[in-house]
Amino acid sequence: MTMPTPLGITRGPGESPHEYTLITPDRSETARVGEFVTYTARIAGETCQVLGRITGRQPVRLLPHGFLANPEVPPEDVAALVGYTGQAHDLFEITVTILGYYDSVLGDFINPRLPPRPGTPIYLADNDLLARVLSKRALKQTGAAHIGSLLSREEGRVPIAIDLRAVTSTHLAVIASTGAGKSYLAGVLVEELMHPRNRAAVLIIDPHGEYGTLVQMAHHPAFTSNTDGYHPTINIIRPNDVKVCISTLTLGDLRYLLPDLSERMHYVLGRAYGLVRRKYGDRWTLAQFRLAVTEAEREIDGKKGADEEPSGSEDAGSSGTAGALIWRINSRLESSRIFNDFTSLPLPDLFQPGQCTVLQLNEVDQREQQVVVATLLRRLLQARMNTEKNLVGEGDDTYLPYPAFVLIEEAHNFAPASADLVSSQILKTILSEGRKFGVAVGLISQRPGKLDADVLSQCMTQFILRIVNPIDQNRVAESVESVGRDLLKELPALSKGQAIIAGAGVNTPVLCRVRKRITDHGAEDVDAPAHWLEWFTKGRVEQQSRDQALLAEYTRGKRKLHKS
Amino acid sequence: MLGKLSKSNSHTDYVCQIHGPGEVAAPPSPADYAFGTFVRIPVDAEHTDLIGIIYDTVLLNPELGNLGPRLSPPSDLAFFSPDYLAEKVTLVGITVVGMLAPDGTPTHGVPPLAAQIDAPVARMEDDAVRAFHRTPVGSVQAGYAPLLLALGSPLARYLLLRVIGDLEILFPTQTAALGVLRNELAWQAAIGPLGGGL
Repeated sequence: MTMPTPLGITRGPGESPHEYTLITPDRSETARVGEFVTYTARIAGETCQVLGRITGRQPVRLLPHGFLANPEVPPEDVAALVGYTGQAHDLFEITVTILGYYDSVLGDFINPRLPPRPGTPIYLADNDLLARVLSKRALKQTGAAHIGSLLSREEGRVPIAIDLRAVTSTHLAVIASTGAGKSYLAGVLVEELMHPRNRAAVLIIDPHGEYGTLVQMAHHPAFTSNTDGYHPTINIIRPNDVKVCISTLTLGDLRYLLPDLSERMHYVLGRAYGLVRRKYGDRWTLAQFRLAVTEAEREIDGKKGADEEPSGSEDAGSSGTAGALIWRINSRLESSRIFNDFTSLPLPDLFQPGQCTVLQLNEVDQREQQVVVATLLRRLLQARMNTEKNLVGEGDDTYLPYPAFVLIEEAHNFAPASADLVSSQILKTILSEGRKFGVAVGLISQRPGKLDADVLSQCMTQFILRIVNPIDQNRVAESVESVGRDLLKELPALSKGQAIIAGAGVNTPVLCRVRKRITDHGAEDVDAPAHWLEWFTKGRVEQQSRDQALLAEYTRGKRKLHKS
Repeated sequence: MLGKLSKSNSHTDYVCQIHGPGEVAAPPSPADYAFGTFVRIPVDAEHTDLIGIIYDTVLLNPELGNLGPRLSPPSDLAFFSPDYLAEKVTLVGITVVGMLAPDGTPTHGVPPLAAQIDAPVARMEDDAVRAFHRTPVGSVQAGYAPLLLALGSPLARYLLLRVIGDLEILFPTQTAALGVLRNELAWQAAIGPLGGGL
């Protein structure tokens, strides 16, 4: 076995105590930013491989600018002219951030707190070593999600598998600009969640209807278990089938749904809500609520009359409040195809181990989307709490004896930074308390700048793809503490399908090339020029000109056709 | 023959006394020992010749400063004391930039051998200069350029510019790379002192 050639030689410590610099000619051009290097150190009597990540690369030997003056003359020719005949003149100073040596017992890197001595040879980290230490889980282990491979190495050489146990207890975020591949990555993640070794209970909130192609998983051999015949169930819920029982709405939901409420309407609504719940408990209908509104207003008026003498104009105004409120309730709830008196999507139908439910919310009004998501998450968390606390048993609607994972597309619409929506509150609750009850969320957003900072910062595993917008970059830098500044600088330079994975799901932040999806990608852009061209190839222009032609008029006597 | 070495300041820096009138049959003309002229100095017959470049000229006149009265006018001195007149000499500074082996193999840079006192200094012909600068693959080289620039003399850049100008004439097919080097030196020599960047 031949010893590997060192990449370079340690020059000395870097600017901070956990950095060092090395000098390398880097003839093989492998010392890229983000690449992993290693050196051997004796720590506590044992030989350890101390891993580091390249965070900077500076040339230290440059040709004079004047040598580059004539594009037709290679600068090496000019250098040879004055007597420099060395073949490779480049020298680079590489800055390395020390990650530490991997402790298999702790499952984490331990920083030796001692940079290598000057002159220590530095090697490119071995593929096998990286495959072993970068991912928390081995590739085919239960709880491993194979996302792709290390970007700086050949495709497939160093597989990156995130730890689903960490992800499903501490949440995740997928952040990227439009077209950077976030839906594709989410598809890969769902494929891994539904793989026979994981068999997760997954719900996808799909506001654009992009995840319909996941249905291919149901019969794909890659997702079929040879041992017990498992194959995932894919349950696509179309917008028309999304149902929310009105009685599951909270007062906050109602206030959010009903437009332009006056102070008095808010008051009446609150009274009516309390009234209907006192009378009918958790099950009430729209008609009962309308009656409660009228009754609430009567109560308020009666109370007012007892306390003080109302003026005629106030009385006239108050008598219209219930009517206006009922008009708003009817316009929003009665005509809605989502809200109804008796039916909600049953939780056990939505969440089953080995089942991926895609809740398609395209064609649904955004406010209604937010309320649908809020009610669903609220019910999910309540069901898990009740189940964990043994308040419900098998057969109950809210009995959910397994953890659940909810992937939310366009998360900035459900927890925006600029407003406190009904969905923001429950999301924050799940992000802070969900891990205790096995409820995890994955947030996908193309505008992290618009996403609530608290929400983003509580997603402990991050998949960050290309982000060009400086506001979004700053938000990521503020909220995502596990990614170093050096990696964040890479954000605008990432290509489609390349991601920074950081946080609880991996041992150290890595630049990853996302693997190919097994199922088709459902969010392909519309090829508008092709469609435009197609319009002309089908003879539609002629047909259209025929259809739009003016009728010919036959003039008696003249025996001649002319256009009128 | 231009003259003979009369002094050295260092391993590569020599002073040559140019033959004056009456010392040799055909004394050299000023064009023969012009600034930037390549000269060869034999070390020994077996080994090699040192190759140098004239980088400075000094006129030596012992009479300078003698402002007192003279017993004889200069015209009489030429007749009665010709030795005295011969003390007025032209000295040229030579920096050695390489060696030329007997088989014609050139080496650029600091030579390991030093010249001897009174060693004859001869002007190099164009063919010899061309041979000294030709690489085995036929291109031009001036590997002593860093050595010249390291002289620290204010004339160093101009000397190199002059040499490159001569090489452009001797190697007409290699003017591209030489031109890049010449432009860079010209910028440094002309614009650099006036505050031009890089």
